[in-house]
Parts: sequence; structure tokens; C-alpha cells
Amino acid sequence: MGIVEIRNLTFKYANSDKPSLYDINLSINKGEFFLITGPTGCGKTTLCKCLNGLIPNSYHGDFSGEVIVDGLSTKEHPVYELAQHVGLVFQDPENELFCTSVEKEIAFGPENLGLPRDEIRKRVEEAMAMVGISHLRERSPYELSGGEQQKVAIAAILAMKPKILVLDEPTSNLDSLSAYSILNLLLNLKKEYEMTIILVEHRLEIVAKMVDRCAIMNEGRIIAIGDPREVLYSDIVESIGIGIPKIVKLAKRLKLSSRPLSSSELANILKVKK
Amino acid sequence: MKIFEFEYKCETSIIHKLDPRAKLVYVILFTVLTIYFTNPLILLLIFLSSVPMAILGKIVRKWLISIKSSLFFIIFIFLFNFIGIFWTTGKIIDTIIISIAMTIRFISLISIFSIFFLSTSPEDLMQSMIKLKIPYEYVLTFNMAIRFVPTLAREAQTIIDAQRSRGLEFEKGNIFQKVKKYIPILIPLIISSLRRAEVIADAMESRAFGASKTRSFLYTLTMSKKDFIFISICIITFTIFLFLRMFSYIQ
Repeated sequence: MGIVEIRNLTFKYANSDKPSLYDINLSINKGEFFLITGPTGCGKTTLCKCLNGLIPNSYHGDFSGEVIVDGLSTKEHPVYELAQHVGLVFQDPENELFCTSVEKEIAFGPENLGLPRDEIRKRVEEAMAMVGISHLRERSPYELSGGEQQKVAIAAILAMKPKILVLDEPTSNLDSLSAYSILNLLLNLKKEYEMTIILVEHRLEIVAKMVDRCAIMNEGRIIAIGDPREVLYSDIVESIGIGIPKIVKLAKRLKLSSRPLSSSELANILKVKK
Repeated sequence: MKIFEFEYKCETSIIHKLDPRAKLVYVILFTVLTIYFTNPLILLLIFLSSVPMAILGKIVRKWLISIKSSLFFIIFIFLFNFIGIFWTTGKIIDTIIISIAMTIRFISLISIFSIFFLSTSPEDLMQSMIKLKIPYEYVLTFNMAIRFVPTLAREAQTIIDAQRSRGLEFEKGNIFQKVKKYIPILIPLIISSLRRAEVIADAMESRAFGASKTRSFLYTLTMSKKDFIFISICIITFTIFLFLRMFSYIQ
């Protein structure tokens, strides 16, 4: 059994007339880097909220099926308890940061848990080291750049010591360079700390080669799931509005037998052919 | 118009380093004094006693700005008192003395409060509220309100720009028409604030807000020797002023 198990999950918001998620079944293994992508409004954000229990605990609506994260059913455990197992990072860091210094921002979670001061200090230091922002500790979160703010938001979640990290389009407000740095940081968290990472992302050009598996959602359903090489080269993804990496398109046009995901892979294949 | 310069700049003067609770003692004692006395000379003395605080706190410039920006109210209070008292008593000299006293009282109050706010960081203020046993939820609400003012201002500016580019003219029309033109600003602003509030609530819950009844803190305030010395000085000055009152009775 995976660290995240979703069984027959259907959810409809109280004020909407059709479900945002239809019959989702998903199993994610421990230590996996899992990518979810799909066009806007396909239910990715709703799925993220289901993963840390905000749905069904804080949102009204019709919830059926089951979500089990780290052995806990989200129906039976409050969000604050689930928060210590699964951390959720949101799209816009500006709304997540409300303290006067980076250090206090990261301490907010552990403080809520009522941990002793030494433990809070230890966790803050660890979280800052994990994302490499120890030099920013005294700074005010709002004077930082977008990329640094997002790192603070990630560190603030890591201070809760979750095993699973869920990120809902963490790079959508960032330039490519900061986005690249955030995505590389995630890869590092997976490799070095064996974290399970579930990432909702549009920048397939960068992430496709980093992730272990990916799922594509459309209109509340998962329409394709598997190895990114399989999924991105399948015909089904072309029909919906997601940005397929140019490398994939090019390789398809060239009718290559192998399936490259990055420019260097493609270059190697072409060199061999020559 | 800015009445108080609330904006806090991180400085490290003696006054900044004092515990906010000690400064609160100062504010309370001296506010009581300014309300208690009506003699313009003593009120002037109270005002002058706040000057060294501003100098020690290295906030003289900002302190002057906050007094200057309340000039309108100062003139208003003087005129209002003058007309009011002259109307009822008809004695010109008494009227002038009382009006001046009221004006000085107002200036002293502004001075005392702006010294407090200029030398206390929002974070310290929050911590002292917690120490004063105010529930954390209220303290956090207060903190958030301060925190999201610039965010809201930026959003309002974006909405104003958007409505302008769609042809809304703010400059035209009489006062009622102008006020009416702010409705297309307010409605989107309120809606986006509500949405933002929802996202913030989600983010807080995701960081275990409300997990434990007894929340702990990374930093807390502790009263040190210099705070007790400061409080003693305040109490001594307070008593001296009260003696002045008795003295003036004997006279």
C-alpha cells in the first residue's frame, strides 16, 4: 500500500452543480516524486486540498470515497493532525506569509503545536538549512523576491516535519530561473531526505525529466497516469490544453523510436543517429 | 492625511529596547496626568517631559511629523474651545487660558502616544498583548490587520487602474458623484479580500493552527532591570506632578 491512497474519491463543492472530482483512484508510493498536471479548472487544486484534509474538514460539499495519507483517513482526523504528516504549499506565497521575520514565519507551525522552545529552535534551523535560506533569517518575508518567498513558505511547511509534501503550482508567479531553483530544491528534498513529493505544475519542460510518475487530469478525472515518457508521448494528452514540451513534439515529428524528455537527451540520440 | 506615523523602523535606541509593558505604564500614567490637570503651565511641563523620550529614542524627526500632521486638529480644538467657552462665560482671559490648556493637552497626548508607537515594533506589541492575557486569536487578528494593509493598498491601486482603463473618471462630478464612483472599486476589493481571507485561513490550518490549547513561542518578552528603572522613574515623575497639584492648592 502506498503512502497516499485515494479510493473512489468524488467531491462536489456545496455551491456548484457538478462535481470537481469524479471517481479518483490513485496510489502514491513512499519517496516518489509525483507530478499532476492538466488544464486550468480540472480539479488539481481541489485534489491538493483533499490530500491534507482541508476537504472534507473545512469545506462543505458532497464527499464520497476515501483518502488515506500516511495511514490516516482524512475523514477521521483534523487538519492540524494531518498537517504533521502532509504539508501543503500554496500558489501565492504572499498569502501564506504573515509574520515579521523569516525565522518567526517558520516557527509559526511548531508554535501552534505547542512544542518546547528548544525543539522549535531546532526545527527552524533544520528547515532553513534544508531549503538553504539560513542567511535570510532576520529579513522580513515581504521584502524578499518571489522565489525566496516561496522557499520560506516551503521551509515553514517543512518545520512541521511532514513525510509528504504537496505543492500547488508553486512556480506560477515566478520567473524561469527562480522556478528552476524551486524545482531543483524539490528534487533535492526527495533525494536527500527521502520525502514523498506531489507537485502540481505546468512547467513540463523543466519537471518532466525530474519526476518518477505523472498524472494528467481533465474535467475532474485522471485521464492518464504513469511514467512521464509514456504519458507525455501518448496521443491523449495532445487533445487537451496542456503545454507539451517542445522536445516531445519534435521527437514525435522526427518519429524517433526512443522518447527523450530533455534537450540533452535528444541531442545524444541525434548524435548517435548521425 | 496621516495622523500618526505608525510605521515602525527597526532601530536600537534605549527606548526601543524597553519592554513594551514598561512603555505602556508610561503611556497610562502620563495620559492620566494630562487628563487630570487643567493648568496650562503644568500641561506644558508634561509635554516637555516627553521631549527627552523622543530624543533618547532617536525618533525626533518622526515625532515632529506626527505632531505636525495633527495641526488641523490642534487648530480645530483651539477654535472650538475658544468659541464655546467665550459663548457661555464671556470672559476673554479665562477663555484664552482654557483654550490654550486644552490645546496643550491634546498635543501632549499625541506626543505620548506617538512615542509609544514609534518605538515599539508590531511584533513586540503583539507579544505584550499576549503577556497581558489577551487571547492569541485576537492578537493574531490585530497583527494580520496591520500586515495586510500594504497588500490591500496595492490591490486597491490595481483595481483603480483597471477601472480607469475602462473609462471610469474619478476627477469629474460633484462630491456625491465622486463618492458613487468609488463603488466599482470597493466591491471588487471586498470580494478579493474575502477570497484572500479564505486562502490565508487554509494556509494557517495547513500549519496546524489551533492544534494545541497552549501555544508556545520562539521569542517571549522578559522584563529586565532597565525596565524596572524606567517604571520607577515614571512613577516618581507622576508623584511629583501630583505634588505640584497640592502645592497649587496651598497657594
